[in-house]
Amino acid sequence: MAETVKLFVNGQEVEVESGKNLIDAFKVIGVEIPHFCYHPALGADGNCRMCLVGIEDGRPPLVPACKTPVAEGLKVQLDTEKIKKIQHDVMELELINHPTDCPVCDQAGECTLQDYYMTYDHQASRMRVPQVLKGKKMDFGCGVIHDQERCVLCARCVRFTRLITKTGELGIVNRSDEARVTTFPGRKLDNRYALNVVDLCPVGAMTSKDFRFKQRAWFLSRSSGICHGCAKGCNIFIDHNREKGGDDRIYRFRARHNGLVNGYFICDAGRLSYHQENEGRLGTTRLAGKDCTIDEAVETARRKIENARKPLFLISPNCTLEQMIAIKGLATARKGRVSGYSDSYIMEGDGDDFLIRDDKSANRAGFAALGIDTTLEAFRLALNEADLLVNFNNDLLRSEASGTFTEKLSALTVIAVSSHDNTLTRKATVAFSVSSYSEYGGTIINQDQILQRFTAAVVKNDPVPNMIEVVRLLGGPVTDDVTITKAMQDAIPVLAGIEATAFPTAGLNLKEKETDHVTA
Amino acid sequence: MSQLDILMVVLRVAFGAFIPICFIAIGVWMERRGAGFIQDRLGPNRCNIFGFRAGGLVQNLADGVKLIFKEDMIAGHIQHKFYFVLAPVLVFFTALVSFAVIPFADTLILGGKSYIMQTVPLDIGILWFLACTGFAVYGIILAGWSSHNKYGILGGLRSAAQVIAYEIPMGLAIVSLLVVYGTVNLSEIARFQGQLLFGFIPMWGVILQPLGVVIFIVAAFAETNRTPFDFAEGESEIVAGFHIEYSSMKFGMFFLGEYVAMFVSSAIIVTLFFGGYQIPWLATETMVAYAQPIAIVLMLLLPVITYYFTNWIRKNNVSHYNRQNDPLVREANVYIKICWILAAAVELILLTLVVINPSADGVRIFVVLLQMASFLLKATIMCFVYVWVRWTLPRFRYDQLQKLGWQILLPMSLVNIFITSAVVVALS
Amino acid sequence: MTVKIKTLERQGSTFIEKLYLVEVFRGMRTTFGHFWRILLDNSKSYVRHYPEVKPEITPRWRGRHRLTTHEDGTMKCVACFMCQTNCPSHCISIEAGERVDGKSEKMPIRFEIDLLECIYCGYCVEACPMDAIRMDTGIYSVISSERSSVVKGMDELLATPGAFSEEDYKKRGL
Repeated sequence: MAETVKLFVNGQEVEVESGKNLIDAFKVIGVEIPHFCYHPALGADGNCRMCLVGIEDGRPPLVPACKTPVAEGLKVQLDTEKIKKIQHDVMELELINHPTDCPVCDQAGECTLQDYYMTYDHQASRMRVPQVLKGKKMDFGCGVIHDQERCVLCARCVRFTRLITKTGELGIVNRSDEARVTTFPGRKLDNRYALNVVDLCPVGAMTSKDFRFKQRAWFLSRSSGICHGCAKGCNIFIDHNREKGGDDRIYRFRARHNGLVNGYFICDAGRLSYHQENEGRLGTTRLAGKDCTIDEAVETARRKIENARKPLFLISPNCTLEQMIAIKGLATARKGRVSGYSDSYIMEGDGDDFLIRDDKSANRAGFAALGIDTTLEAFRLALNEADLLVNFNNDLLRSEASGTFTEKLSALTVIAVSSHDNTLTRKATVAFSVSSYSEYGGTIINQDQILQRFTAAVVKNDPVPNMIEVVRLLGGPVTDDVTITKAMQDAIPVLAGIEATAFPTAGLNLKEKETDHVTA
Repeated sequence: MSQLDILMVVLRVAFGAFIPICFIAIGVWMERRGAGFIQDRLGPNRCNIFGFRAGGLVQNLADGVKLIFKEDMIAGHIQHKFYFVLAPVLVFFTALVSFAVIPFADTLILGGKSYIMQTVPLDIGILWFLACTGFAVYGIILAGWSSHNKYGILGGLRSAAQVIAYEIPMGLAIVSLLVVYGTVNLSEIARFQGQLLFGFIPMWGVILQPLGVVIFIVAAFAETNRTPFDFAEGESEIVAGFHIEYSSMKFGMFFLGEYVAMFVSSAIIVTLFFGGYQIPWLATETMVAYAQPIAIVLMLLLPVITYYFTNWIRKNNVSHYNRQNDPLVREANVYIKICWILAAAVELILLTLVVINPSADGVRIFVVLLQMASFLLKATIMCFVYVWVRWTLPRFRYDQLQKLGWQILLPMSLVNIFITSAVVVALS
Repeated sequence: MTVKIKTLERQGSTFIEKLYLVEVFRGMRTTFGHFWRILLDNSKSYVRHYPEVKPEITPRWRGRHRLTTHEDGTMKCVACFMCQTNCPSHCISIEAGERVDGKSEKMPIRFEIDLLECIYCGYCVEACPMDAIRMDTGIYSVISSERSSVVKGMDELLATPGAFSEEDYKKRGL
């Protein structure tokens, strides 16, 4: 832990990390200072005045907590009558022209204004004059819907476009009760991170068109996950819900803070990639294009693998390390070749310097760690020799470049183990339906050599098996947790020194020295 | 064997088999409407055939149809299916056959030949009844055990313990009775009660054995698993006890068995303590001698009874709310007509008896019919007492039940035997 | 307010009572009194001849639900899901969508109440911020021979009128 300082909160002595402002420092020890405009990623703006705190014997006696760094011996007052009066007044000001349309507002349930009203205000409105009417349901582009009446003018969204995306589409025009957030005429939001303003907005002024009216926030279960959209491995919340009579279904992804990987944000493409988890799935196990039971499929597949002279096992770069180890074990036992060829996942030039990466797969670094060959030459050679292709969720034909394989593939017997329906599963003799990344847990390594673990979020009514289970049914020798963990520790020695329970939540940076992770 | 012999056998067996079964319907009907009346309700009164409800009797028919057509299932966990199916049969059958030894009229003498009016003319009488009712509990225990269900087995166990506790006082009450009557043959017991004590009191068991009556009736309630001793079922404690796993007609058999048992034990109580078929002060021979005056009295009484009964129907068989063209009034009118037609028919028969001096056989048959009516009337009243008690008394607690059986009824019955024996010895 | 103390005499300790049999006969006398009274004149029974004679429903009675409308016929419901959230038996299922009648932004495109699951607690009525759902139809008997027809959809809920005047409804419970 970094250096600490001792100070007083409401007369009680506490020890907090130095170098932070009061809001962040107190948050760690569980003391909340209400605030609208401050956001750790956007810095202190000091426009909302909600975080004003008293400093005993201080000059000035009243300071905004977001702009005040912690200091030794500081006597902070949060619960004096004066501070409470200020909070009441700020809340009253914010609510003067607020439409209080919580019943129709998507933010209800996770709205800062609602929470603060219940915690700090709780007063009836004194307003007897008509409210100022502003623009509602304004399409800001990029799937962002803006409601000016609900806005508290914290300017988080404005600062986001200026400081983070540096596109600056948003601005606040006019003054006093006519002030409103808007875009420039004819220039809507246009960047690949625009939907982050929905997360940033403390109230319901910015809502997502994609999520609009789909679910109330309090129905959603928030599970942690990792986005598999690209090699960055951004941390996300998987918000899902099982409606009455329906199946467990994902309704949105939200950014989850991880200082090591993505900070506070994720890209729009990743945010909307939950659609792929709900749709286009290979729902059933198929034998020659027809639905069948898993036992029938296993029987056929085992026979085919046993009879094959040179089977080729193709692994998806989205597979977890555990799955890769299991598949590798099966391939070794069946004397087949393993390939992780997946150039089709790379979209050259798509990435940027913030979060988006060229490589649209989550665990390509895992191939290197486990020594799985990914070169085109080796794959082509193996494919030409092979008489059976066992494809583990690798969408080989997803980009145009892979078209060269179609001819060869049509001559081969294909067994597909896939979470999604694609050209290869339709062509496959046997197609096993397996779970996708929101339904299983595992370990992946991102492009920056950061190893992260995630757990299953969604539990379907009729769960399809994990890929490892299918490998076991097909006769794979390495399928239990103990052996897989052992194999993983062999491949990545640094893991051997870490207890499963002590695994750092932010992930493990493999580039660093091993000793850094051994906790004293 | 003459044709008459065979006819008499058939008639008696038919009586023994069908009367208890008919009384199921009457018992169930009496139970439901009795319960309703006691609780200021009306009881089932909606079921009808072409608008005729027969005072709610049609409900029984509907229930019977329902029970028969319900899905007859045996739960998958039941291992001993044979015993499971056997249990209700056992309960029903033993209840039915225990009626076989009960005399429903005095010995009929036709053409110099006498026929004992009992389904099975057995000398062992009361012992047969004890054996049969004792066996019925096996059905309940078997049901509880073979249901393979905690509530079921609890019901069975309770029933077993209860039967042990109450069979003893019951048996001892009968012992003291036998000391008085000096026979186990129920026909003879019934005939014994036709005498008069001190020349004017009917020598019924209830007069001779006041303590024995109480003990026997209490024990009989326990024996038939009726409230306040229905521990084997105990709805509020063990859901439905021994018949929890039974459905459809297998449950129906238990249900019917209970009412047959109720009727049969009413019949035995009547036979042992309330003079059986005897009409007070009218011994068989008296009636034979004075057949014509009795017929005349009946002829005079019948219109009066019918008049009041039809008035009662007219008053009660109406809708108690504003209703146009009340169909219940039409229904009542039909019933009233039927009543008068029946009364007229009986009058006609009685008239022939009075006008045409019948043969000795005819008189005998007339007397037997009167005695049968007397017996059935007494048994019905006793059945009503069963119903009446059920809707008055709540169920005992289990320890109270055992305490009552072992600590009160058992010593009491022993004391009763002692006193009875002493008196009988002193008198002889 | 002073607490009223009523001392009850403990019954069942005298010899006669302990004998039990006497008490049994006293009980039987009581029940026979009722029996005889009804037997002689069954109009004295305390029963309502339902279904011919219907009970009187008061505005406080929680009957079948309905969805209310504004005076111009548009529905009041804005699909805020408060009723569904508060429903202890999970009998309400709503699907929300864009409002098309220009009243606000949101309205239900599907609103179903499964009356087989409903326990008629009235929480939905209390939770509703728009007074859009009420249980004042006076319908107390929902019967059907098939399950699907007991799941009431939006159209039926909107079409059912209330059984009481607005004033009577507002006065309920006061």
